[in-house]
Amino acid sequence: MHTQFRSLLATLALTLFCSAAALAAGTTTAGPTEPASLAQQPVVTNMLLAYGDVDIWDETGQIIKRPASGEKMTMSDLAAQTADPLEGWNRMWFGFNDKLYFWALKPVAQGYGAVIPERPRLWVHNFFHNLMFPVRFVSLVLQGKPDAAAVETSRFIGNTAFGLGGFADITADSKPYKPIGSTEKDLGLTFGYWGAGNGMYLVWPFLGPSSARDTVGYAGDYFLTPVSYIHPWYWSIATKGYDKINEVSMRIGDYETLKDASVDPYEAVRDAYLRNRFKKVND
Amino acid sequence: MMKKISLFLGTLILTVALCSTALAGEPQDRLKTGIDSVIAILSNSALKGPAKRAERQAKLRTVADSFFDWHELSRRAAAEHWAKFSPKQQDDFVVSFSELLQKTYIRKLEKYNNEKVTYLKEQTEGDKAFINTQVSMKDKTIPINYYMIKHEQWMVYDVVVEGVSLVKNYRVQFAKILSKDSPESLIQRIKDKIKFLDEGKNVDDVAS
Repeated sequence: MHTQFRSLLATLALTLFCSAAALAAGTTTAGPTEPASLAQQPVVTNMLLAYGDVDIWDETGQIIKRPASGEKMTMSDLAAQTADPLEGWNRMWFGFNDKLYFWALKPVAQGYGAVIPERPRLWVHNFFHNLMFPVRFVSLVLQGKPDAAAVETSRFIGNTAFGLGGFADITADSKPYKPIGSTEKDLGLTFGYWGAGNGMYLVWPFLGPSSARDTVGYAGDYFLTPVSYIHPWYWSIATKGYDKINEVSMRIGDYETLKDASVDPYEAVRDAYLRNRFKKVND
Repeated sequence: MMKKISLFLGTLILTVALCSTALAGEPQDRLKTGIDSVIAILSNSALKGPAKRAERQAKLRTVADSFFDWHELSRRAAAEHWAKFSPKQQDDFVVSFSELLQKTYIRKLEKYNNEKVTYLKEQTEGDKAFINTQVSMKDKTIPINYYMIKHEQWMVYDVVVEGVSLVKNYRVQFAKILSKDSPESLIQRIKDKIKFLDEGKNVDDVAS
């Protein structure tokens, strides 16, 4: 009982700390109400800008508004230019994760996928997704999206109570009356929504590509993840590992294609990560 | 009288609403034709199985060639370095780059499992078009957007999957290589990669 209370307090303190830090950052940068298609500060020195072909639309189909200064980059381009000062270090962990995937994760996931049919694996996926509700809920509340947070809550209650504890995603087809945007949020995305930049690109062993901002977010998410509180710690790790294997078993081939198709896989993954995260911030 | 007008208006609105779905513009129709023929090949039972792989992939390539503007796509991926390529190198680059893309992404398409494609929005401006689509999979939907350009026909020159532009993803990789090496060595690197994939010793080697 006592430890539970303490961990709750720790979660609360960390969330408050994170929000305070990011709010401070939020006041200095532009708010999220700016049009997403428009890069705010002109980064003139970049050589990609010298390229003459100007796109009409950004990655989501919004028309790129060009101010007098002749801005040619989308916000996504700006996010993709996040500094990578630790490239050598990051490349080392990228290589490590790559080996980890091909030598450990993939064979295990393939074996698991061969024994367990797809449908039960989808149930497991639903269960863990449902369990991550606190991360999404807190993030949506911190982003000031009460509608989306309410929808997430009703999905959680519905799936937990009537979907066999979350194994069945019975609320997947129930659409809210008003469009609410994506509810797949975490704290890293929340800081991004507040206006915090990526800081720098980072690759972590086991966790994969990240950024300074997303690393802080991940630390916060850790405390909002119920599985983190399983006692003793190795059962917590094992549960997370199982979730990971289950996810990988449904995604085999994605990383392979990206790696096969690229001439520099490290750069390809970095660009994809930064652009994908940018999109998720604005979804 | 009032009733007649409202009946007429109602009919009009209904007709317009029904027609608007059919009234997709030229670029979207063209894109849909392409995607439909890919799906037709992939779900054709006469072409299923590993024995028919070569035939199936050849068919998919023909479709891809007639819907993708490889030249425009390669030029944009090389971006400002394009001018450094000699005309022969440019042709070489287009051929090898499109070969790499087809080789890897057709393999990926082969995993098609009756996913539904929804066309969400179409925008046209001059000879350019942007189309938002969505692919519904078992546990999630993936947004896929297409940039198209019109020469004789509307052709795709960039694909954006979950916010990641194909052309821009390669632009970073190519820019990094071309800032140190010549276009010739980039082309050689792409050719090496293709050879590597052909020999089947692809992904398990760490290439960081």
